[in-house]
Amino acid sequence: MAAQPYGLIATFDTVPDIYHAAEQVRDAGYRNWDCITPLPIHGLDKAMGVKRSIVPRISLAGGITGFCTGMSMIWWTGAYDYKLIVGGKPLFSPMFAFPISYELTILFTAFATIGGMFFLNGLPMHYHPVLKYKEIRRGMDDQMFIVIEARDPRFNLANTKALLAQAGGKNIKELEA
Amino acid sequence: MSTHAASVSTPLVAPASPASSANKALVIGAAGLALTAIGVVVSSDAHGVAMSYLVGVTYWTAITIGMLMLTLIHHIVDASWSVVIRRQWEHWLAAFKWLFVLFLPLLVFAWLKPGFVWPWMDLNHELHGHGTVGTDVLYQKKAGFLNLNMFTGMTLAFFGIWVWVSARLRKASFAQDADGDVKWTFMNRKTAAFGLPLGALTLTFAAIYWVKSLEYHWFSTMYGVWFFANCVRGALSISVLIMLWLWARGDYKGVLNTNHLYSAGQLVFAFTVFWAYVTFSQYFLIWNANVPEETFWYNLRELNHDGTTNQWKWVGMLILFGHFFVPFLYLLSYKHKVVHAKVRPIVIWILGIILVDMCYNILPVLKDEHGDSLPFLSVNLVWVLTSVAGVGGVCVWAYLRSFPSTKLIPIRDPRIGESLTHHE
Repeated sequence: MAAQPYGLIATFDTVPDIYHAAEQVRDAGYRNWDCITPLPIHGLDKAMGVKRSIVPRISLAGGITGFCTGMSMIWWTGAYDYKLIVGGKPLFSPMFAFPISYELTILFTAFATIGGMFFLNGLPMHYHPVLKYKEIRRGMDDQMFIVIEARDPRFNLANTKALLAQAGGKNIKELEA
Repeated sequence: MSTHAASVSTPLVAPASPASSANKALVIGAAGLALTAIGVVVSSDAHGVAMSYLVGVTYWTAITIGMLMLTLIHHIVDASWSVVIRRQWEHWLAAFKWLFVLFLPLLVFAWLKPGFVWPWMDLNHELHGHGTVGTDVLYQKKAGFLNLNMFTGMTLAFFGIWVWVSARLRKASFAQDADGDVKWTFMNRKTAAFGLPLGALTLTFAAIYWVKSLEYHWFSTMYGVWFFANCVRGALSISVLIMLWLWARGDYKGVLNTNHLYSAGQLVFAFTVFWAYVTFSQYFLIWNANVPEETFWYNLRELNHDGTTNQWKWVGMLILFGHFFVPFLYLLSYKHKVVHAKVRPIVIWILGIILVDMCYNILPVLKDEHGDSLPFLSVNLVWVLTSVAGVGGVCVWAYLRSFPSTKLIPIRDPRIGESLTHHE
């Protein structure tokens, strides 16, 4: 049975090589593709055209939820469900609800940030098609790769291969899903 | 590392002298000080003018202390990204000796006319409702700390320490430009090791003597920390303005990158939260304990003797929202920290609101015959503005005068390469 095609993988030897190749892939309009490098390359996100993450927005939503949870919890327990006067203070005041609200803001922001990050990056991921490619282990050592997925609307076996070759990619191989 | 630095294409010669800007700043400073001096003579409430001048001096001293603390923290943690901005902090430290000169009139008045600035210095000062300062047991118990000799000696010691620590930091940093010797870095680290505790103690006692003692019945263990938060926040805001100014002038092209602004913006954000934490804690603990000896300080800033609210309540609200919520929500955004046109307005706003915070802490000591605080919106605001312009003009002049005396950035700092390539 013929396996589904996953995409194309090309090998690069140096940081400038993959950096400029990424710029070419970006300018060609591809969206479903990635770079695999053994080290963080500063500015590669820009060369790939990756926008800033939307995790901060998820964090903000978590923070607002936490703040509102804290305020409403203190109001509900002390001023609504079981009215209780403590230390001669009003049944509810944002003053004494503030420490709890702000702790919950931090807690929920942290949950939302961690959760949002895992949701967006798809980790933990136990299998990825590039793992079938034997040379990929060098992506943790001394080589860099660009993978363009077949599901990308612009993907076309011959043209994409030509693009990778023109961008300086070596050893261009097809990957199975 | 110096070879790395030398290979970077930055203007390594002393930048063009901003002498004309310095002269302008000095003219503004002199004009502000002259107007304030006229105010003392012509105003029917000379005490109010003196308080306004105290606001101006405290405000700029706080910012300069913030610059000192930032430089010391930079050295003690061996920071790298802030190397390119550190030189500007060092230039600003040249203002300390002038701030001392500008503080002298207050000291002279304290001796010639006790009670003119700080009411407790006059033992015959009438306390509203209970005798005089001299007969007040709460003053008598604190008299070992609150007396003119201690006040004078401590103030001289504060400025002495600030000027001395600043001189050490500046000397080592500037000397390294010439010889590139790493010993200067170690010298600065040692200065930071003893300078930080000294700085923390002096700024705390300065806040207590100059500001908190105005209402000597009151106590708050948060006061020094509150002052520190304002110091550093003000200094960071000025730093951001300097960065934008040097970028616009062209000096920082090729030196500054987006990440420097991002890091500075993050610190402004962090100190926004820190200020709020400290200020809220101070209010919350006093509100919760509800002890009259402490609550009166906030009552003065909210109520008149007949229970009606006064203007300071709304100033307090302005501080709550303007000092915390607005900058907090605004600075959450990445863009608002790094886009020049977006970060500029917020740091200017923060500098303004710190001034309001200083007014909130100092001006309500001015009271009418019922013991109620005089309103915020009064002619005293004019004297606050002339004082801020006066002292600020002198500080900016001192900074600009020091600016052309060295290289733009510490080119031979061991971490200059890291700083120039600073990344997230």
